[in-house]
This record gives sequence, C-alpha cells and structure tokens, in this order.
Amino acid sequence: MNPSRVLFISLIGFCSVYCITAFAASQEFELRIREHLFYPSNLEVPANQKIRLVIINEDATPEEFESYELNREKVIPGNSRTVIFIGPLSPGEYVFFGEFYPRTAQGKIIAR
Amino acid sequence: MADGLSIDKVYHPYVDALEKELEYRSIYPEAQSRSANPAQIHKLSLGTSFSDHWFGEFYLVGEKDRRGNFELEAYELELKWQLSEQGEYFADWGLLFEYENETEADIEEISVGILSEKEWGRWSGTANLHFIQEWGDDIDDEFETAFAWQSRYRYSQALEPGFEFYTGQTATGLGPLVQGAINLGIRRNLHWEAGLIFGLDNKSPDQTFRFLLEYEF
Repeated sequence: MNPSRVLFISLIGFCSVYCITAFAASQEFELRIREHLFYPSNLEVPANQKIRLVIINEDATPEEFESYELNREKVIPGNSRTVIFIGPLSPGEYVFFGEFYPRTAQGKIIAR
Repeated sequence: MADGLSIDKVYHPYVDALEKELEYRSIYPEAQSRSANPAQIHKLSLGTSFSDHWFGEFYLVGEKDRRGNFELEAYELELKWQLSEQGEYFADWGLLFEYENETEADIEEISVGILSEKEWGRWSGTANLHFIQEWGDDIDDEFETAFAWQSRYRYSQALEPGFEFYTGQTATGLGPLVQGAINLGIRRNLHWEAGLIFGLDNKSPDQTFRFLLEYEF
C-alpha cells in the first residue's frame, strides 16, 4: 500500500477513536491537600464505575498524587487543582500517597 | 538510526510534570549473514518535562561494530506530547516527534509516532505507530513506518513481566520483557527494562537483547 495512504488511514482512525471517546461521562469526587495531608484520607467511591477525581492542592508547594494500585501519578502545583480519572474499580481498597510528603500525605480509596 | 534496527523501546503516552530523567539503553542484536548490523547500540539521554503535557529529551547514540570499533553515530531530539489524561477516554493518547542527525554521514530523519495505552485491570497494553521520513546525500530518500506493541502485567512496582512485538523495515520480532522500578527517595526512582526479542523472519536478527536503565528525579 502507498505510504501516504497508510498515513492517511491511520490518522483518520486515530482521530475517529479520539473524538468518539472524548465525551465519556463519569461521577465526580473531590480530594483536598492541606498542610501535606489528604482530606478525606479515606474516600469511598462506587465500584465498577469510572470516577472523575478532582484534587485541589491548597498548599503553596506542589504535591504528587501517586498510587501503584490505581496506576496513577499526577503532579498538582501549589494552589491549583487537577483532575484524574480512575476505574472502573473492583471492590476493595487502593492506597495512595503524596510523593513530595509521603510520611504525612497518605490515604486510600475504598471502592464498594 | 536511519535504516537502523526496529527493535528499540516502547513509549508510553504519559508525561510527569516537574520530572527530569537520565536514561541509558543498549541493544545487542545477534550477527546476521545478510547485513552488517552493529554488535551493540548504546543511547544516553537527558530529558525534562516542560509542563504536565510536554517532555523533551536529547540523545547521544553510539554503535560498536563487529570488529569492536565504537563510534558516536548520531544525536537525536525527542518531544513527547500527552494528548489525554490517563483513564479519561477508551484509551490514552500521545504523540512523539523525533529528529535524528547522523554525525558521520549526511543522513537525517524525522518521525511522528502515535502512542496509545489501554488498561485491563492489572494488564496494560501500549502501541506505538511511527511514520518516518529519511533524507540526505548518503541515503535514498524514503518514507517508512514502524510498529511496536508491549503488554505487561503489573504484578508489583519492582517486577512487571510482559512481552513485546516490533516490526519495521529492518526487523520483525517478538519476545519476553521484564521491567520494574526501585524507589530511591522523594521523587527519585530507578526504572529498568530488559527484553529478549526473537526474530520472526529472515531479515531480523535471531535474537536481540535490549536493556534500559532510567533515573528519574
């Protein structure tokens, strides 16, 4: 096949998948970082659903939400917010921590 | 490398803000009777994120031939653009832009790669599709494509087994991979990968060993 045709078909396929999946809805939850602690430290979420987690860092310093169990790591600059998407999760507990302040910034997501 | 080995590394479509990394990777293809492939390829790079969506990296590429001569062959510039948040859509997406210039020959290469990753529980699948244009006085101008796939099982942070598939102009191969990461302190990690890729056709080395060590800080 002509290389330019391969490129064209690939880009069309890529754009189609990107656009089709661009409007997926999910339930929203909030997590705050204050004085290097997560609030709430235990966050209950529904199992088997995709979750939109808004993380608000009220500290002046950056923090990184990290969880191997959730397969997520995301830096939140000081005095700012970010969104991460997790799930659908099987019922259970998923620990997370702040990589900049791991001794204090700890918590878990409980999927029920 | 221009017209170089298609077996190298599978890129993930993610960028970690405020991260720098020092990476060393090496590739050891078995000798082939039909082509004078290098005995070893070594890449050393320094990279930094510019934001939570852009990451840039500069590489020095060296080769050791079958007679034992080692030379600096090329330098490369890479720019990765994370297009979607992890888990936001059906799959995660990114783009990789690369420029390579060989030091000993008039050969240049530019490429664009589509990076995609999808999770299935503890399994992750990553696909890279690269579109490559080569030009220069020492090479026939040509357009080529390359594809790579990696599946890995997230058993633990220290050990993730999986397998990889590569296909391109110079090789097609499949083989096992192990990788892991060791935490060295606050925002300091050592990531490693080792893979053995078995050639699936006559143009490919029978075996290619690849190794990667990455210090993230």
